[in-house]
Amino acid sequence: MSQELRINNNKFIDQTTRLSFKFNGEKLYGYKGDTLASALLANNIHLVGRSFKYHRPRGIMTCGSEEPNAIVQIGNDPSLTDPNVRATEIELYEGLEAFSQNCWPNVKFDIGGINNLLSPLLPAGFYYKTFMWPASFWEKYEFFIRHSAGLGKSPTKPDPDIYDHKYYHCDVLVVGGGISGIMAAKLSAENNNETLLLDDKNILGGATIYQNNDCFQIDGTHTNYWLEKEINKIKNIKNLTIKTRTSLAAYHGYNYLLAKENLTDHLSPDERKGKIRQRLWKIRAKKVIIATGSIERPLIFNNNDRPGIMLSSAIKKFIDFYGVKAGKEISLFTNNDSAYETAISLKKSGVNIVSIIDIRDKSSSKIVKEVEKHNIKIYWKHTIVNTEGYRRISFIEIMKLSDDGSGVIGKKIKLKTDCLGISGGWTPMVHLFTQSGGKLKFRSDDNVFLPDKNKTPSDQISIGSCNGDFDIKDIILNSNKDVKTFLGIENSSFDNLKVESSKEEMKRNIWLLPSDKPIGKTKPFLDFQNDSTAKDVKLALREGFKSIEHVKRYTTTGMGTDQGKLSNMHALGIIAETTGTNMGELGTTTFRPPYTPLTFGAIVGRNVGEFFDHTRKTAMHNWHVQNKAKFENVGQWKRAWYYPKNGETMFEAVQRESKAARESVGILDASTLGKIDIQGTDASEFLNRVYTNAWSKLAIGKCRYGLMLNEDGMVYDDGVTTRLGENHYIMTTTTGGAANVLTKLEDYLQTEWPELDVYLTTVTDHFSTISICGPNSKKILSKVIPDLDLSDEKFPHMSFKNSIINGIKCRVMRISFTGEHSYEINIQSNYAKHVWELCMDAGKDYNITPYGTETMHLLRAEKGFIITGQDTDGTMTPSDLQMDWIIGKKKFDFIGKRSLYRSDTIRDDRKQLVGLLTDDPKEILEEGAQIVEKLNQKPVEMLGHVTSSYFSPNLNKSIALAVMKSGKKLKGKKFFVPMENKNINVTVTDTVFFDKENKRLNA
Amino acid sequence: MLNFETTVQDSKSYGDLTLSEVEPILKINLRSNKREFSTKIGKLLSIIPPIEANTSSSNEDYSILWLSPDEWLIYSNNKISYEQQNLLEENLFNNISNTNQGSVTNVTDHWVMINLKGSKIYDLLSKSSPYDFKNFKMKKGSVAQTLLNHTDVILHNIDDNNLNLFVRRSFSEDLWLWINDSARFL
Repeated sequence: MSQELRINNNKFIDQTTRLSFKFNGEKLYGYKGDTLASALLANNIHLVGRSFKYHRPRGIMTCGSEEPNAIVQIGNDPSLTDPNVRATEIELYEGLEAFSQNCWPNVKFDIGGINNLLSPLLPAGFYYKTFMWPASFWEKYEFFIRHSAGLGKSPTKPDPDIYDHKYYHCDVLVVGGGISGIMAAKLSAENNNETLLLDDKNILGGATIYQNNDCFQIDGTHTNYWLEKEINKIKNIKNLTIKTRTSLAAYHGYNYLLAKENLTDHLSPDERKGKIRQRLWKIRAKKVIIATGSIERPLIFNNNDRPGIMLSSAIKKFIDFYGVKAGKEISLFTNNDSAYETAISLKKSGVNIVSIIDIRDKSSSKIVKEVEKHNIKIYWKHTIVNTEGYRRISFIEIMKLSDDGSGVIGKKIKLKTDCLGISGGWTPMVHLFTQSGGKLKFRSDDNVFLPDKNKTPSDQISIGSCNGDFDIKDIILNSNKDVKTFLGIENSSFDNLKVESSKEEMKRNIWLLPSDKPIGKTKPFLDFQNDSTAKDVKLALREGFKSIEHVKRYTTTGMGTDQGKLSNMHALGIIAETTGTNMGELGTTTFRPPYTPLTFGAIVGRNVGEFFDHTRKTAMHNWHVQNKAKFENVGQWKRAWYYPKNGETMFEAVQRESKAARESVGILDASTLGKIDIQGTDASEFLNRVYTNAWSKLAIGKCRYGLMLNEDGMVYDDGVTTRLGENHYIMTTTTGGAANVLTKLEDYLQTEWPELDVYLTTVTDHFSTISICGPNSKKILSKVIPDLDLSDEKFPHMSFKNSIINGIKCRVMRISFTGEHSYEINIQSNYAKHVWELCMDAGKDYNITPYGTETMHLLRAEKGFIITGQDTDGTMTPSDLQMDWIIGKKKFDFIGKRSLYRSDTIRDDRKQLVGLLTDDPKEILEEGAQIVEKLNQKPVEMLGHVTSSYFSPNLNKSIALAVMKSGKKLKGKKFFVPMENKNINVTVTDTVFFDKENKRLNA
Repeated sequence: MLNFETTVQDSKSYGDLTLSEVEPILKINLRSNKREFSTKIGKLLSIIPPIEANTSSSNEDYSILWLSPDEWLIYSNNKISYEQQNLLEENLFNNISNTNQGSVTNVTDHWVMINLKGSKIYDLLSKSSPYDFKNFKMKKGSVAQTLLNHTDVILHNIDDNNLNLFVRRSFSEDLWLWINDSARFL
């Protein structure tokens, strides 16, 4: 570290704690409190990266989130490396390793620098113009473009860090901890408002906390001392929560805001272990006070991008806050008074100021007079026409401006300088305001867009320099007044402050400063990261782009990681000037969230790995795990899919399970089906209205299958409903549809049918369901519930019985989804696993076989039973499914009834459910495969597709269900299923393949 | 008697934060918009279902939580046997459902009840619940129906920094893991 560039005894930097870090492999030192940028500057390093397009050497330009150049790769661990980190924001820690981006082999010698020499051939829109033809070459072009595109390297391994979320509710949120934010937070919290104050830096106070200048005083003390006392006071206010290192990312409607808190990014890797890295705050605030400040504008002139050219305000912060001299011979170039504050700070710290170049004719403000006292050479009405120095600025060339500012006159003066501070005025940070829906107005005096008070969403205000107050006197006076009005406060401790400041009296703005060379021979950069120049903007205008949004995209101005924080205003200014438009009418580009980049980690929080999505488990889940089941996701449920034995494949396991269920007995965990308890005197009428078939005559103790339609007449859900009592039913729904069905039915009861006396309660999780099917199922059940009379007379198909298993009540339904003689035991979930085990024990002698969802699907397909969502897709009516029998044609109404008689729903050529058999019984069709009649037709007419397909071990052949145009009329006809390497011959059949007479239900 | 097996069967401590499943307790869902309903419940349980949103009423044995203008959740404040649960359910069913005064539905195993105790329980909840707990935590007996890690939960404030959380059985293991994971970082 070069001690020549450090100032001792700086209060914000702990010079007793030296930290080592590496930049591009070189070991360097800094102090605790430094950012990487301040530490590099203290080591006399300005060159930190290369620009995106021309690979021009670029240096640290700012001291904050607006930094376009100093974006680095942090760390070389492939799981932790972080690209595009702003060196101006990352705090230095022991062991930090940073690398320059977008350069090869290194930042000092970059092969890509050849682009700079070719720059006359690479104007705006180069890609669009060049890679248009021949069209067939695009894939070749793309290969090279992809390789040269992008900044930084993504980590190649999963992020090992921990991220957190926090919801927070407060009365008042203050965004920004500068002087106006501190005042607002104090006023708010002292007046009984739960207040949250956020600031992205580690130390509160914004730019005022290091403003130690005689020209700016509050109650007779320097502004920094006054503010420091205020900050100390607010730290003890009970209602106030202060979060530093927390940047506001997004401001959504109705005062919902997102902020990212950095918790460990400033710690060494050892100190971070086991701790949360970043926390995303999700804030609901009753009122929001935006105090986000403003950022300094650069000036646009020829070769304004060399390392060593920085914002004047950044030079000031580096010297006043970090105690680092950005150069030894510094020049300042300005159009306003701010650079003079930097001059005084530099002079106080003993830095030689070569000169100040000011485009104004003169300024007689207090601060300028103060500078003049120090005998610093000021070139009034001059501009810089060129700079020199490849890896670091070495000379500037200045000339006198013509009276109208459009050209330069007189002799060229060459000045030696190793750092140039540029100051083009200030841009209020209105991003958050506009994100929330606020509209901007234009103030032409100083060319700024400001929040329009008349178009501000309710319950928010903007104060301080983000609201266009740049003089400390105005900031204090207006912030105090506006916050008092906003929060309904009568008196404030800031009412009678005596503030001294230096009023800026003279302004002059030239968006594109003239040079002695024609513009075509200059490089006046607007967007430093994306290398777009004023020339590019002018070219875009010549080529017909007029909207700022179009110019932005054509030239890529403002599309870098800094999102044009420095470049947008100049682009607008140049467009307005060139086209003779008023800037206010031109408007700005859209400011979208996030304000600064968010990590994906912060966005997802802990919802990664095992918490990526919910896992719903049945009461028997652990049994399935112990018995080596493979699981499939059904909604959020984990359902046993199949139970492979002795290395069986899925096909083999499913064949074995399917055979066992038909030949002896199978057992299925059917607990995931939705279950809705329905009570009330109008329960039967309610079912009449929600299902297509009739329910009034269903006897107590009986079960019935129902199809539920959407309003459009399409099948929505299905299931068996059982009448438990006179006014008491239990409805089952599909697993995936359970929540939606309940919501829909409740909605109907509350909004469409309030006259019905019906109450719904979900009991999906209360009951677990064990389904036993197969010719031996009755024998199993009689062992588990010996007292239950299972005779067909007492307990026929489609009926239910209340019963008791070992002292615990249960409901047994005799219903079947497989076509076999089946029972479903419904029992309170906390006892279900034991009942399952009892069934397994009871079935030992009958080779009871647990089967999963795949076998269930196969068995039901043999019977032609549909699965809603597999054989239906939201476009199938009951008639399309060949289930006309389930429509109660005499019923007065049911959901979807009217739609069933629309001309479109009664068309004969709708897609209808059919069975398909392959000519080769061993050939299994692929689900989703298309069905055609003619093989050589182009384009081939696709008549339908396969919805379910299996090899049936019980029929010893392949079977499939499909939907086909006019399917009902096609029975016996032959078609083709064309696949990639063959055509499969199929014949349309009935949808029921197995036990058409339903003999097995009572076997 | 069949084996009783709940999902969590555990209790954990993180500093002064304790998490524990409390089972078996009875849980019954009530729905009604009939006039006599409230009086009947009062006679049967010696407590009146609250009509103010997000509140509860309790006596020594039971708590009734307001869930919606026509829906309440009753739960027993103490662990009770299966037989007692049955008796109470039948009594309520006969007097409410069977007299067409509303619906009585046993949801004992639909919900799992987890007790959260400690000074940081609201910090824990704020990690994944969008609910504003300001009024909830100040008022004993408050009820909230909200999301915790995207899962539906019912919360019942039973004392200062002491609440019961109800989560659907199928989600309970998942949520329990999330709660324990998050509790590490308080």
